[in-house]
Amino acid sequence: MNIAVLVKLSVDTSYMRLDQNNRVLFSEIPLKVSDIDRNAVEEALRIKQQGLANKISSFSVLTWGSSDKRVSEAQNLLREILAMGVDESYLYVDPGFVYSHLYTAKILARMIRKAGDYSLILAGEASIDGYSSQVPCRVAEELGIPCVSYARRIEVKEGKVIVERDLEDSVEVVGVKLPAVVSVTREINTPRLPTLLQIRAAMRKPVNIIKASDIGLEPMKKIHEFVAEGVKIQRKGVIIEGKTVDEKIEKLLEALAKEGITLYRG
Amino acid sequence: MKILLAGRISEVAELTGFIAPISSTADIHALIFGKPGEDEIRSLSVSKAIVAENADPSYADDVVEALKAVLGKEVYDYIVLVATRINKEAGARVAQTIGAPAITEAIGVRLEDGSPVFIRSVMAGKAISKETLSSPAVIMVAPGRNKPVDTGKRVGEIQRISISGKRSVEIIERKGKERKGVRVEDAEIIVSVGRGFKSKEDLSMAFKLAELIGAQVGCSRPIAADLKWLSEEHWIGLSGKKVRPKLYIAIGISGQPQHLAGIMDSKIIVAINKDPGAPIFKYSDYGVVEDLYVFIPKLMEKLSTRQK
Ligand SMILES: Cc1cc2nc3c(=O)[nH]c(=O)nc-3n(C[C@H](O)[C@H](O)[C@H](O)COP(=O)(O)OP(=O)(O)OC[C@H]3O[C@@H](n4cnc5c(N)ncnc54)[C@H](O)[C@@H]3O)c2cc1C
Repeated sequence: MNIAVLVKLSVDTSYMRLDQNNRVLFSEIPLKVSDIDRNAVEEALRIKQQGLANKISSFSVLTWGSSDKRVSEAQNLLREILAMGVDESYLYVDPGFVYSHLYTAKILARMIRKAGDYSLILAGEASIDGYSSQVPCRVAEELGIPCVSYARRIEVKEGKVIVERDLEDSVEVVGVKLPAVVSVTREINTPRLPTLLQIRAAMRKPVNIIKASDIGLEPMKKIHEFVAEGVKIQRKGVIIEGKTVDEKIEKLLEALAKEGITLYRG
Repeated sequence: MKILLAGRISEVAELTGFIAPISSTADIHALIFGKPGEDEIRSLSVSKAIVAENADPSYADDVVEALKAVLGKEVYDYIVLVATRINKEAGARVAQTIGAPAITEAIGVRLEDGSPVFIRSVMAGKAISKETLSSPAVIMVAPGRNKPVDTGKRVGEIQRISISGKRSVEIIERKGKERKGVRVEDAEIIVSVGRGFKSKEDLSMAFKLAELIGAQVGCSRPIAADLKWLSEEHWIGLSGKKVRPKLYIAIGISGQPQHLAGIMDSKIIVAINKDPGAPIFKYSDYGVVEDLYVFIPKLMEKLSTRQK
């Protein structure tokens, strides 16, 4: 069995940049491997370590621009997951890419189909930048296979995958036949940190660049447009000063009283 | 404009509140899962109700099948669901099938030049995104933020459909989560604890304080997810609960964006942290630089003498 892992190269939310009009400058924010996708990689590695998988391939679509700078940034990031133990990476680069989860999922599905035979497709429950949680199940639909999300435990057994999944008010144990797509939560495991040796060895592993012509996609249309603006901090930001704790507490209670909040049960 | 609201009857009612700003000129239909009574259906403010009696909305497969059946017969500009985890699966699948864009966790919508613009939070809560989607589009609405609204529409027609109920996912076991009656989502005051607490036992201070001021206890992710000192119903943030209390008291919480993403709708935020450089202070109304182990006992002492 081979495992495909969907890995998003997200913009790093800790380095948000804004222009003069307070708009998010996505093109200038550095990329990072979306945190929860590292958990998906880790889970794939654990399944392989149990002797249940032969090959692990990662699939990414470069969604935040396809300049040379972005491509090399992406390649370096993919080296991180290759160093964790992924065998090979596929990276879709297309200057004609038009933002929409619809196209991302179509591209991923076609890349996966073209790359080989994958029984289990793993992904993070959401990416840290958009937090949309759409792509895993869209890919499943595109491939015509089942989708189970929010996994916090996975067991591969006799052509099936048993998943313990986390829902709002319940925890479900579900079973699906392979092939299937499973998205995981951050709680499923702790992703390993590769050693220096592994990082060096990863330089030899392939990052395959895939172009539009390789997968034959119809032209993409603008179907989903957005403008993101920085949230202005509308908090007072008052630091309560005082020589003693008692003084600070008095002042805090006074300040809250002025806001109409009294701190004892009525 | 034609809009389809889909879900359990309570969810459909909630969704009428979400679409109110765009509903005046729209034709609104409902796809209802389960077996609600006729009166209940008629109390919905929609012009047509389609009832899928044998669809169980706790299965994404059922939601997908019912939606595909309805969308195969009628074209809608917006297909709207509450963004529960199961619905996020179903919504994504349906959107892919009909070749449509979708958004998750929409927190608002308004008309700009006659077309709906949807609002959602991105970049771990640091930015607000205004999104326009070509129709048809699937909209998944952040749960619990909307109340039913009378859009002036009355149910004219009730149609019934049934689905095959073929499922790809087999539920082997379903365990209800232990809920000790904690609902931080509804709390007026929250005392929230973070890694500044050194041990699980020390959290009892926070619980005592909460009891004294009639608050619920919330926490940052590490307390629930990594240390497991508290159950998940206390967990607040991007991947936890979103809260909107009158007063949020963050104690020993550094103020990382993923935590802040869950508390943005709080009216007043108070932070207690011993590090004057902690980011939480920038995102608070009132901050006290103090060791929580000194602050909490003193505060409780003050409050209990006041109460007498
Ligand atoms: C995809 C993703 C999703 C996430 N989702 C969430 C989420 O939903 N919710 C969430 O909370 N986090 C979430 N996180 C984690 C988040 O990034 C932070 O790691 C977390 O919020 C930090 O928790 P903390 O503030 O309790 O701990 P820390 O960051 O360790 O802060 C502890 C604070 O306590 C202070 N302190 C220490 N001792 C004392 C004392 N004696 N008195 C007073 N103050 C003291 C310190 O100065 C420090 O500021 C997520 C992360 C990712 C990547």
